[in-house]
Amino acid sequence: MIDEATLAQMNGEYVMPPDAGPAWREAFARGIDMSLIEENLKRSPWERLLANDSALALIRAMGEAKAVFDGTAH
Amino acid sequence: MEQLTEILRRLHDAKVEFSLIGGFASRHYGVTLVTEDVDICTRFTPENLRRIETAFKDFHPRHRLTTNKLPLELTDELCQRLKSMYLTTDLGILDCLGEVAGVGNIDAVLRQSNLRDFPFGQCYVLKIDALMQAKQAVGRPHDLITIAQLKAIKEKMNNRELYFNP
Repeated sequence: MIDEATLAQMNGEYVMPPDAGPAWREAFARGIDMSLIEENLKRSPWERLLANDSALALIRAMGEAKAVFDGTAH
Repeated sequence: MEQLTEILRRLHDAKVEFSLIGGFASRHYGVTLVTEDVDICTRFTPENLRRIETAFKDFHPRHRLTTNKLPLELTDELCQRLKSMYLTTDLGILDCLGEVAGVGNIDAVLRQSNLRDFPFGQCYVLKIDALMQAKQAVGRPHDLITIAQLKAIKEKMNNRELYFNP
């Protein structure tokens, strides 16, 4: 039996970490997905930059795929 | 294919005097927003500019804001007159600024930067507080989101006393 709190987390409820300070809470209140920042902070700074390269490549690939779909690819 | 990390490595290997600023510096600290360019503050001396030119000569550097995307071909006159360079290369976009709004010129920026370790060596990166000042000075919507994230990251890292040197 899954308790309500766990179910809520499964459904996307963010649990504020115990060390969350005012700036962390304010960012969350502004709608920023703090779980993504937590995951990012587990990486080294260099890994974060490599992840940016990967994300950028994905964005470009999606743009090219859209252009093919729309018939506007060169 | 774009490789912004390779831009950084080439700047380092060419011994360009610079500090990493902007979105890529923010990513370095843990901000989640994806950035499409590398922004640096650099010294606009002929020697330093020619190092940049040499670093990217095999990657078709062009002045991306000029109408015809003119190739980067530095002359003595141009080196004297340029205050910034907005370049596109095969590796991605590299914006080189002589000064940073909210912080100042290259000397002020370097005073507000720390040497950080990368796999290829060390590079200066604008400190997190100065980065927030710069973002505040520009004040676009995504800059304000970046500031909110940087504040939270700084707070968390200070709380946890992990590897961090704001």
